[in-house]
Amino acid sequence: MGRVGRALIWHEFLERARDRWVVVVSILFALLASAVGLYGNNSQTEVARLTGPSLVTLATMLVPLVALVLSHDAIAGERERNTLGLLLSLPVGRYEVIFAKFIGRSLALVLAIGLGLFAATALADRENAMALTVLIGPTLLLGLAFLSIGLLISACAPRQATAASVVVVVWFCLVFFYDLGILGLLVLTDGGLSPSLVNGLVLGNPAGLYRVQMMESFAGPDFLQEMGIFAGLPGQKTLASLWGAWLLIPLFLSGLLLSRRKVI
Amino acid sequence: MKTLAAREISVRFGQIQALDSIDLKLETGGITMMVGPNGAGKTTLIAVLLGLIRPACGVFEVDGESASLDRDWKRRIGYLPEAVAFAENLTGRQLLLFFARARGTQIQRVDSVLERVGLSAAGRRSIRGYSRGMRQRLGLGVAILSNPELLILDEPTSGLDQEGLSLLWSILEEWQAQGRMVLTSTHDLALMERHVSDIYILRAGRILAQGTAQELREAANLPHRIRLATHGDAGRKVELLCDAMRKWGRGRIERSDDQILAEVPSDAILEMVKIQSQFPGVVVGIRVEEPTLDLIYDKLLGAA
Repeated sequence: MGRVGRALIWHEFLERARDRWVVVVSILFALLASAVGLYGNNSQTEVARLTGPSLVTLATMLVPLVALVLSHDAIAGERERNTLGLLLSLPVGRYEVIFAKFIGRSLALVLAIGLGLFAATALADRENAMALTVLIGPTLLLGLAFLSIGLLISACAPRQATAASVVVVVWFCLVFFYDLGILGLLVLTDGGLSPSLVNGLVLGNPAGLYRVQMMESFAGPDFLQEMGIFAGLPGQKTLASLWGAWLLIPLFLSGLLLSRRKVI
Repeated sequence: MKTLAAREISVRFGQIQALDSIDLKLETGGITMMVGPNGAGKTTLIAVLLGLIRPACGVFEVDGESASLDRDWKRRIGYLPEAVAFAENLTGRQLLLFFARARGTQIQRVDSVLERVGLSAAGRRSIRGYSRGMRQRLGLGVAILSNPELLILDEPTSGLDQEGLSLLWSILEEWQAQGRMVLTSTHDLALMERHVSDIYILRAGRILAQGTAQELREAANLPHRIRLATHGDAGRKVELLCDAMRKWGRGRIERSDDQILAEVPSDAILEMVKIQSQFPGVVVGIRVEEPTLDLIYDKLLGAA
């Protein structure tokens, strides 16, 4: 990465880390995660079966929101402020701009999520804290996937307000309604969908992929089947490919859009 | 860099011919102004020069040699976008630091530029609290930060108060004195007129007229306005002077309370002065006004 790209990474991190919405949502996540951690300490139930899944539910809702808030104005905001042309008038490629923005905002995301997870881990007892460390990697991947999706939305949207509206819709769809949609399909077809199709549909959503991964991680591979959900995790390579696809494909499409569209 | 020439530049967006065989020449120490109605192609031409749009055809020459608008070219340009609004979460200094790092400019220059654009005191404050004029001055600071050989300013007067305008004029003078180039696009013809050396009038992607203000004046062939302030007690004599001017027949004559307004061609100004001298004691003051660039612009656009 060139000089402009490196400067842009720090610039993006600084700019996002000072955003009041990002700070508010991050503090909210940290508070809720801490509350879950403390609750787990006082519970008589097996810790990994309570605190971990509770944090997964919390992270599934809030981490995509933090990531989308962080990324929705990356391109649309620059376009609206008339600074996109200025940025691209620097000696830098358009894919490099997308990549640098992604890395800079990822650092802000890691800080935001890390704060919450660190708070929850610090407040949990030792055994519980060990179990919670399992959360860190996949939670960051979930956040990065949604950051990448947010960047794509930002590259598509003509205005920042449009991007903000679209990310809210995408958040609702992928975090809340997606699973309901699958359930609805199962009801409509009277359970006629093949398990592999249901599996594919669940894993076709980064939030679903994260949930399944974490459920298996906390409760073992048989847990989901015990609950009547047959979606299971694919092999490690496929899992890595799925996360890689969620990270890279939106980024690539964002770069492509930025290359093709009129800048000023 | 002594000259930059763009020849036969054409850009098309779908069915719209945004630029149609544009020829543009910038010279060292020159301040070139582009004017034209919205959609004339000014911003598109700027985008081409910034390397943001690749023209369908055309060539660029720097100092007479063929050039491409690549990354090396971008290092030589400073740019102020129209109505720029920087990210509000940062301070003015943090923003300049980013551009200094990105352009490989010495960090020490950030403070001197902040001082140059009159934002030393506000440099460590969030841009959120900046007025429109302060944001524009910050934009000027970003544009001049790397001492570029070519300064491209899109609507630079926008939002500037008198102090900001003085700053802009001093920057233009500095660039001119250092033998650098400036290309500016504006709707404020009257404000910019005194400070530019070359003017391009664009319309529908084509160059309608080009030249110095004087050359455009001659091309437009608009009358000069002569205001003759008359003596309050001259009474009947003023009427006689008006009659004499009307009989002369080389311009439009209007009389108001203490003034005669004459619109005459430039080659008739001397004759007009001679006529009034035949009526001693009537005229107490004469003011000759050249046609303004606004009028020339309207005439040339109207004629097209």
